[in-house]
Amino acid sequence: MPGLPASVDLDECISRLYKKELLAESVIEAICAKTKELLMRESNVVHVKAPVTVVGDIHGQFYDLIEIFKIGGWCPDTNYLFLGDYVDRGMFSVETISLLVCLKLRYPDRVHLIRGNHESRGVTQSYGFYTECSRKYGNASVWHYFTDMFDFLTLSVVINDQIFCIPHEGPMADLVWSDPDPEKDEFSLSPRGAGYTFGAKVVKKFLAVNGMSHILRAHQLCQEGFQVLYDDHLSTVWSAPNYCYRCGNMASVLEVGDTGERFFNVFAAAPENDQHKDIQQGAEKQADGNAIPDYFL
Amino acid sequence: MATNSHTQGRFAITTRKLPISKSAPIAAMEARLGIPVPEMIFGDNVVAVRHAPTGWRIEFNAYDALDAVDKTDKNMLQVAYAKSWSASREQTSAGIKEVVKPYDWSYSTTYRGTTTPPSSTNTSDGENNETPNLTPVGPAEDDPTRPAKQIPLELLKRRDPILFFDDVVLYESELDDNGISMLSVKTRVHEHRMLLLCRLFMRLDHVVARVRDTRVYVDFDTDEVIREYTVKEGSYEDLKKAFRVSGLTPDGVTVALRDGNKVAEQLPIIDQTIEHVSLK
Repeated sequence: MPGLPASVDLDECISRLYKKELLAESVIEAICAKTKELLMRESNVVHVKAPVTVVGDIHGQFYDLIEIFKIGGWCPDTNYLFLGDYVDRGMFSVETISLLVCLKLRYPDRVHLIRGNHESRGVTQSYGFYTECSRKYGNASVWHYFTDMFDFLTLSVVINDQIFCIPHEGPMADLVWSDPDPEKDEFSLSPRGAGYTFGAKVVKKFLAVNGMSHILRAHQLCQEGFQVLYDDHLSTVWSAPNYCYRCGNMASVLEVGDTGERFFNVFAAAPENDQHKDIQQGAEKQADGNAIPDYFL
Repeated sequence: MATNSHTQGRFAITTRKLPISKSAPIAAMEARLGIPVPEMIFGDNVVAVRHAPTGWRIEFNAYDALDAVDKTDKNMLQVAYAKSWSASREQTSAGIKEVVKPYDWSYSTTYRGTTTPPSSTNTSDGENNETPNLTPVGPAEDDPTRPAKQIPLELLKRRDPILFFDDVVLYESELDDNGISMLSVKTRVHEHRMLLLCRLFMRLDHVVARVRDTRVYVDFDTDEVIREYTVKEGSYEDLKKAFRVSGLTPDGVTVALRDGNKVAEQLPIIDQTIEHVSLK
């Protein structure tokens, strides 16, 4: 496998990204191309060995991603499995995905990236990543490099042959579109006209048939940062604290130990988020620094 | 601070902003409502306006708003790709044809606020005087094409100092990345008047866009309250076209589609009702 161009120093890229600096467009192009090559060689269902720390949705909340490394350990000291939804909605999707991709390239066996439903061309055009790329780079090239690379991201992961991580895309994706419904046992159609809802029986049957013990999902916002259902057969990990900068929720990462024991490490929004409070809330400022009064009608 | 209060004239305006609800209150709420709640549910948030002398009150909260969401299959929308989805599953989904709990999952509520009539201060004779509450406004006597009472927009366009302001979200759903449904309440209070706007903004991508605005206007000099409810709706494609005609670039249209104010400007009015109460 050919290396990166000599001009691209991954360690330097990573240390710049930790400081939230943007990489040059040509560097993003090279890194995405290289990541594609790497991902092509990985299997469609990746098997990961514990210990590993599992991270749910991040959605461009860069400071909170750094908070995760602070509480969960830095790469490569801690193994990480990211379940997707890196981009959209938050203010720093470009910095977030740039950092994660560089970490994947630098430590390919210690960092795993699954494809979330936001890692697609369609969704990123509606929910912010496309707009952010165009704004920060002056054109959409970087968005093209990233979304072309997204097509090669892994769809699902099994940890220690025991914990199945529900993907956002692909044949199992229907599961993610609806809540597991404690009142229902079996599958039923979602009222949206696409997707199913499923109950405890389905979860238990799936685990029995596949010889696994637990299903793990992301994608479901919860105030406590995590949720455990069905006698501990199904759990949700949510990793974007104070989601969209206004939900006031906690977040967590799931630490899976050597023998498969699970611990949700709960954390709140990083204090650095406050620096951008005004922009987050959409309030424009006047010259004197006060918010422009909103004379809505 | 979670709760803010302001008194102006004989009215008290209160807002409460807290984090999204925890799982136990969500479960209790869903059991009472009979439908799942949106993923961003601010069950503790409230905006209330109370007339102190009579006890008349209007408040806006998430539970009552969700209770006004259709809980049948009558107003059930389908995502744009529903047909192709079910066609592609015809082989594998045999036997799974039933929607167990149909409801309007777009959360297009018809909520206009929760009103509490004046507390009865009747004396021993038990004569139940007509307690004032919001009643529909008829056409004006001198000009039947106009309603007799209207929110005085010109007065509200003036840049009078804002003595109290808040913006409170009651719920928001991303409709599983098929669009947005959001109910929020803004309020601004001036010396002589106030305006409250409770807006439902719903956009189902490639299908439909809706804005349902409830405006509450209070005149602090006369203690009169006007409530105006405006329903706007248009197809997604018509909305996009209107944005293009207004001069936006394709990227500009993408951004505008996420902005409830911009969408509200472009959607046609389908229905409007005005009510009025005098509390003096």
